[in-house]
Amino acid sequence: MARGGGNRSRLLLVILLVTSLFFITLDLRGSGATKSSRSLTQTILAPIQKGVADIFSPLGRFLSDIKNFPGEKNKVAALESENAKLKSQALINKDVAGQLKQLKGVLDLAGRGGYQTISARVIGHGSAFSQTVTIDAGSTDHITVDKTVISENGLVGVVKSVEAHSAIVLLMSDPAFKVGVRIARNQSIGVLTGTGGNTFSLQLLDPAGDIQNGDTLFSNGSDSNRPFIPGVPVGVVTSVDHTSATLTQTATVKSYSDLGNIGVVSVVISAPTTAPKQAINPTPAPTVIVYVTPTPTPSPSLSPGAPTPSPAPSISSSPTKKAKK
Amino acid sequence: MSPIRIGINAALLLFIFTIQETVVSRIHLPITGFSLYLAALVLMVILENRTGAVILGFVGGLVLDLSPSSQSPFGQWALILTAISYIIAVSAESIDEIISRPVGLGLFVALGASLALIAYLVMDSLLGQPTGTFGRDVIVIAGNLFWTILIAPFLMPIFVAFRDATIGSRERI
Repeated sequence: MARGGGNRSRLLLVILLVTSLFFITLDLRGSGATKSSRSLTQTILAPIQKGVADIFSPLGRFLSDIKNFPGEKNKVAALESENAKLKSQALINKDVAGQLKQLKGVLDLAGRGGYQTISARVIGHGSAFSQTVTIDAGSTDHITVDKTVISENGLVGVVKSVEAHSAIVLLMSDPAFKVGVRIARNQSIGVLTGTGGNTFSLQLLDPAGDIQNGDTLFSNGSDSNRPFIPGVPVGVVTSVDHTSATLTQTATVKSYSDLGNIGVVSVVISAPTTAPKQAINPTPAPTVIVYVTPTPTPSPSLSPGAPTPSPAPSISSSPTKKAKK
Repeated sequence: MSPIRIGINAALLLFIFTIQETVVSRIHLPITGFSLYLAALVLMVILENRTGAVILGFVGGLVLDLSPSSQSPFGQWALILTAISYIIAVSAESIDEIISRPVGLGLFVALGASLALIAYLVMDSLLGQPTGTFGRDVIVIAGNLFWTILIAPFLMPIFVAFRDATIGSRERI
């Protein structure tokens, strides 16, 4: 082992630490140089990742097969696939029921089935503290940043950066990930945050709203469908935090997508322009107005223009959009 | 450390970084968190003197900062690994013949890599970056510790051979 150093190494240490701080400052101030260097790395790495994915996928599947009992593997895969389809169908039905109960004909049912998507393979995964995946589709496939990424079971994440033939997807498990969600049962709105693991944190926005175990969550949608389209299954509430000191209820959520084992995802590149989303304001319900005519008090003389009083009090009602007095 | 060796080491680190990003990250180990890159860098740092360790740490940090999946500001890994490499180099000087003790070496490398991860999390918190849940972070660090202890002794001969092959006669003296 080599030894030595002294003042020279200490001076060098200080210089390099200051240089690092300079880079950090540049990056935090939004310098394009640092961003483009990462972009260049992604461009270089993507073909290698794609090649490795081609080679490694069979090996990965082989290792996975060893872990499971071989005879049951195909059966389990078929059942899982069927279960996923049924689960997805059941979720949509649940959401439809919740919506119809509250506001008939609103929200994003029309849009749910009509999104234009691009399917892509996952060719790389992020490092320890960064919950990202790299996919083998990029700007040449009309993918841009801030697009919703889904899997067969629901939301996966959002496109963070795009190169010509690859893109990086920020998974919903990343601590930086936040998505607006609504509960299918009562349409309460909340914010779901990634925690770095397999569970997620949900906080309702409405202090009067309530969460229950088993509640299904759907994405709420964003302006112009970026970064999120509405109506994508997000997860299910596994436990409600009753002890939290926050004003609104919080809960722990489990996602529908198995983020640790995603091989293929779909990027929603455009949503139907007719999707109603949150912009729909329901027509106000008719207000019932009650007219009460007081009993006339006897008077010796009536002015010529005065209305003739009714002989007895009368009550009538009529539906109108504006309340009158 | 000569400029040529800095270049060669940087190339090796880039190669390991590519393996980390393309192969290692795809392997779903039972306990997540293993970083081949950090283990390799700490091993390389152990073999250097303080000056060489600081340079390697800085170069290694810059390579890691290039990771497209990184959420942290560019330069954060460089800052952390420069400082950690100096600490590792100083600490390694006080342990005689650490290379010939596989268990001690594995533990030392694992502690160095885990220290880097902890420093990264602390810095993330200081810079206001989201760090995830405490439990998850503990699992990642523990996973890294576990796998590095197991794998570092097997990597050491490779890096010793690499250093012997690249070191110049002046540096050997």
